Amino acid sequence: MRRRPLGFPFTAPTWPRQVPRPPAERRTGVDYDTAWARRYPARLARALILDGVTRPVVRALAAPEVEGLDRIESLAAPAIFAVNHNSHVDTPLVMTSLPDRFRHRTAVAAGADYFFDKRSKAAVWALSINAIPIERVRVSPQSTRLANALLRDGWSLIIFPEGGRSPDGWGQAHRAGAGYLSVRTGMPVVPVHLEGTRRISKKGAKGVRPSSTRVTFGHPLRPAEGEDARTVAARIERAIAVLADEQAHGWWAARRRAAGDATPALTGPVGPSWRRTWALGEGRRPTTTERRWPPA
Amino acid sequence: MSRPGFVLDVDRSTPPMLFWHGEKFRLERLPEGSRVVYPPEPVEALADPDAAIRHALLNPVGDSAPLPALLKAGMRLTICFDDVSLPLPPMRRPDVRQRVIEAVLDLAADAGVDDVVLIAALALHRRMTEAELRHALGDRVYDAFAPFGQLTQLDAEDPDAMLHLGTTDQGEDVEISKRAATSDLIVYVNINLVAMDGGHKSVATGLASYRSLKHHHNVATMLQSRSFMDQHRSELHSSNWRMGRHIAASGIKVFQIETTLNTDTFPEHFAFLQRREWEWGPKDRATFLAVSRSLDRTPARLARSIFHGIRSPHQMASVQAGEVEAVHALTTENLYRQQLVEVSGQTDVLTMGLPYISPYNVNSIMNPILVACLGLGYFFNLYRGKPLVREGGVLILRHPTPWAFHPVHHPSYIDFFEEVLAETTDPVKIEADFEERFATDPWYIHLYRTSYAYHGVHPFYMWYWCAHALSHLGGVIVVGGDVKAVRRMGFKPASTLQDALEMASDVVGRDPSITYLHAPPLLLADVR
Amino acid sequence: MKALVFERSLPRFAAARVASALTAGGGARVGPLRLADVEPPALPGPGWHRLRPRLAGICGSDLATVDGQSSRWFEPVVSFPFVPGHEVVGDLDDGSRAVLEPVLACAARGIDPACAACARGDTGSCERIAFGCLQPGLQTGYCADTGGGWSGGLVAHESQLHPVPDGMSDQAAVMVEPAACAVHAVQNAGIADGDTVVVLGAGTLGLCAVAAVRHLARPGALIAGAKHPEQRRLARALGAGTVAAPSEVRRSVRRQTQSLAMDGQLTGGADVVIDCVGSESSLRESLAVVRPRGAVVLVGMPGPVNVDLTPLWQREVRLVGSYAYRHATFATAFELVAAAGLERLVSALYPLEEWRDAIDHAVHAGPRGAVKIAFDLRPRPGAASGRRAELGPRSGETAGTAPGGDGDPASGRRAGLGPRSGETAGTAPGGDGDPASGRRAGLGPRSGETA
Repeated sequence: MRRRPLGFPFTAPTWPRQVPRPPAERRTGVDYDTAWARRYPARLARALILDGVTRPVVRALAAPEVEGLDRIESLAAPAIFAVNHNSHVDTPLVMTSLPDRFRHRTAVAAGADYFFDKRSKAAVWALSINAIPIERVRVSPQSTRLANALLRDGWSLIIFPEGGRSPDGWGQAHRAGAGYLSVRTGMPVVPVHLEGTRRISKKGAKGVRPSSTRVTFGHPLRPAEGEDARTVAARIERAIAVLADEQAHGWWAARRRAAGDATPALTGPVGPSWRRTWALGEGRRPTTTERRWPPA
Repeated sequence: MSRPGFVLDVDRSTPPMLFWHGEKFRLERLPEGSRVVYPPEPVEALADPDAAIRHALLNPVGDSAPLPALLKAGMRLTICFDDVSLPLPPMRRPDVRQRVIEAVLDLAADAGVDDVVLIAALALHRRMTEAELRHALGDRVYDAFAPFGQLTQLDAEDPDAMLHLGTTDQGEDVEISKRAATSDLIVYVNINLVAMDGGHKSVATGLASYRSLKHHHNVATMLQSRSFMDQHRSELHSSNWRMGRHIAASGIKVFQIETTLNTDTFPEHFAFLQRREWEWGPKDRATFLAVSRSLDRTPARLARSIFHGIRSPHQMASVQAGEVEAVHALTTENLYRQQLVEVSGQTDVLTMGLPYISPYNVNSIMNPILVACLGLGYFFNLYRGKPLVREGGVLILRHPTPWAFHPVHHPSYIDFFEEVLAETTDPVKIEADFEERFATDPWYIHLYRTSYAYHGVHPFYMWYWCAHALSHLGGVIVVGGDVKAVRRMGFKPASTLQDALEMASDVVGRDPSITYLHAPPLLLADVR
Repeated sequence: MKALVFERSLPRFAAARVASALTAGGGARVGPLRLADVEPPALPGPGWHRLRPRLAGICGSDLATVDGQSSRWFEPVVSFPFVPGHEVVGDLDDGSRAVLEPVLACAARGIDPACAACARGDTGSCERIAFGCLQPGLQTGYCADTGGGWSGGLVAHESQLHPVPDGMSDQAAVMVEPAACAVHAVQNAGIADGDTVVVLGAGTLGLCAVAAVRHLARPGALIAGAKHPEQRRLARALGAGTVAAPSEVRRSVRRQTQSLAMDGQLTGGADVVIDCVGSESSLRESLAVVRPRGAVVLVGMPGPVNVDLTPLWQREVRLVGSYAYRHATFATAFELVAAAGLERLVSALYPLEEWRDAIDHAVHAGPRGAVKIAFDLRPRPGAASGRRAELGPRSGETAGTAPGGDGDPASGRRAGLGPRSGETAGTAPGGDGDPASGRRAGLGPRSGETA
């Protein structure tokens, strides 16, 4: 026999049609207050989760090889980490790959519409990865204010400038958020390139498949005096593309191409979708782990 | 910014509605097409109440000098204040009365006034206990006056304490406290919870005796008070106004201080009680479930003591002082701003859930007569213009209506219920056949004067309060009440709201219009 | 002749006590009462007549007897085996109807000269109730020699018979005896004009007492304590000004008398309380609501009770017993029954064969909305032929008119009526058939007064 589902007050009440919903009353999305997740108890819980659960899981699942840590050796916290985005694995992967001085004081800019649409969901993400709600499509003053405050407070920030996971494997055009924050706060931006996470879980995939991955940190970029946020954003995008090139073809080749401004864009060829998929399948993204260069 | 009250039309997407049920709560799904009248949200409280009080005392309205100018060394000053029936529920300390009286006493001390007496303006209500007086006045005032007999409670049955001031032009006896009548100045401190309170009613009723009260506390007056929340259409008030003007004409000076409160009625842990159902968050729903489930399993005594322990967070929203009528006009305006809700058209069936408290059972038991009085006397009369329910319509109340009486507070109620209501429920007949005997019964008088009992005639007034509703309505149905108690009062018992609506349709026809008065917090329906 | 016979049997008596302790009326199933075929009682002597009961009521004292709960006080004044039933209206051999006055006083016992009480007409107070030509027995219905109402026939002395007026129904007539008890109680109570009177209990006696107070006295207020809705309705209909539930009586009295109170104890109270229950709690309540120097009249049969008599002592309350009646009381009782319409109190009639149901109904009369339960012993047209035969040669004659009961064709032949002579015999010695004098008598020190 089917049990009658429990209604109000066990579940949320329905809203009478006559009554307009007050827009300002939202407490999810960008309005979700994550301050609690940065207080000591939540931080302690997160540190335990990160080192006790996330790290072993990420290791087992993604077998990351981390490169370029030497480039940020002398970098003091806080910093903005700009990362390309293919998979849900990206965030835990980057977080666990960060040096200790960053790892436990880093927040993740997460899409307010996706991660913060329900209070329960928001609480989970805020606690486990210290996510903060960011508006994807536009620069909302609320998100910016929060990110600014965090940076000034000594919190590092992980930002995916593409604004979401890649739908097809090619990169998406960067948004200016990371550059904007960098200009506003003067904080350095560390380009980070992830490779292989798409194989574990790509957008729209169900379940995960273990595979090896590579995390490459680039040199920190600092905004020049009076530099425009857009140019900084463009630099970041280029830097990540160089790191990708470095992954695929080796450091020197990548450096040369970069010097000649010939680094292949991550966004892939323009054209019908099959061409893009075809181009991707030609092996720009290696499917095996044999072609590693330089050898570790 | 507080949102105004409004009328909700129930549709399929409307969640079930919260009904008070004495010391319990129930959720009821109302039929589609019903209307729900929601009270306005609490208005902004005064940021600095003490400064506001001082300002009011120094800048009186109407034809009155500032209070300091009225206070002189060697004068007789009497400060009267509302009793335990206001406000509801009792407010958190400091009570408004304490704030106001302390301010008045400060000025009196500055002026060198020595002869000061405080009188609790009980009329025929029960006397207040020490704890209640301390709560209302604060320990400073209590300790300064009570030990020396300067804090008194009106004893309307003490022939030596009352003074007959003659009659009004309509032959109404005016008899009030002798101490007050022989003072150089009466300062009356009001809490105006509803529009009925205050004005000339303060002195003319609060300080009066049975001899005087019976001229307006009677069935005929009640039938002509439509409603007594609307001063200009209320014979109750007309009579009080005549008496008040007679008192003023007798040379008695009254400095009236009236205060209004916002409707922030219930403390934070009962926040769901004054939140609209669709806005209940998980916390509200969890507290509702926890509270209502546990209350259903709580013995009545314990539940009562829990609820009567509630101290309401309501705060002073306005204060005005000076000449009685000018002050009261301002007060009424302020009250209307907080409580008025516009409702268009009357309804066939009016439903309401009655809470655990009425003005006459603070720290006591809400007996069946008080249930009737709260429903048919007070809530029914929360209208201006036309009654919410049409003539011949049906009123559906929700209250457990236990056959229980507080033996100390309500001795005459027991006899009224057992004897008078067993005989008849017709207010006119009750008034003619029984009132005199109860009013003069020496035992009730003894208890009223020496114990904490309401006067013998008080249950009659409760029933007269219902007279307008009883003559207006086609039927009264009580949902979830004690069957015998409900029948005794001439009402019909029903076990569920659905049943009650079915029963009501026998009177008002099929597909009646239904309106639910979502109170408390209080509201005043402005029926167009 | 069929009769319900009560025998002396200790085991059955004990069983009845136990059973009735479990459920009231339980004694009917296991007790000493049984339906038997017995010889009709012989006429003890001259002046005695055969009376064939038409209706015989079940009285509270009968129920106590059935349940083995009656006081041991009665042991020397009953003789076994007896046939219960003392509220009887029946047919005489000459075809006229008569109401039985059950008290077996000097006249019936053939004692001459009569005792002082009988000489005064206080037959209820007869001092010779165990002597004379009859076996001990305070009333018909407790005496082995006379038979009783719960049977096909009994013998009655002419001093015990009161003729039934033609217009009076059997139902009304069977109420005469209880009404006489009530009249007697009211006469004993000495109610002054304007007094507040409380009648506790609204069974047969209580309701009769309410009617009696209303008709024979001029009380200022009459408060009836009644538990069950039907009782309340009847009490009101019979003239009670206020009807209060048992728990409300004290408050009602207080309000009526405007008395003060201390912790629920009234300082004043009612002038007269007529206790028609006779239980421990009713006696306590009586003492609680009577005013100082007031009177409590005990009409219900009390049995052994445990009551604090301090209030009686401190407030100088008169506790007055009221058993039975004087011979002259019956005349007033007949009037009262007619005037108050007391026949409405007869709620149900049972044939003798259904005696267990009848007793059960009587025990639970209050909750079941009934007052007086009676056995219907009138010959019925449809009754078994055997039963009709028992009734003797007259059965055919009465059978046709039995249901109505008041159009007796026999009434035409009224020559030499027994009851007539009985009536004159009864009134002659006393000579004061006036109710007022009875009331005055009640004020005197004679009638069971204890304080």
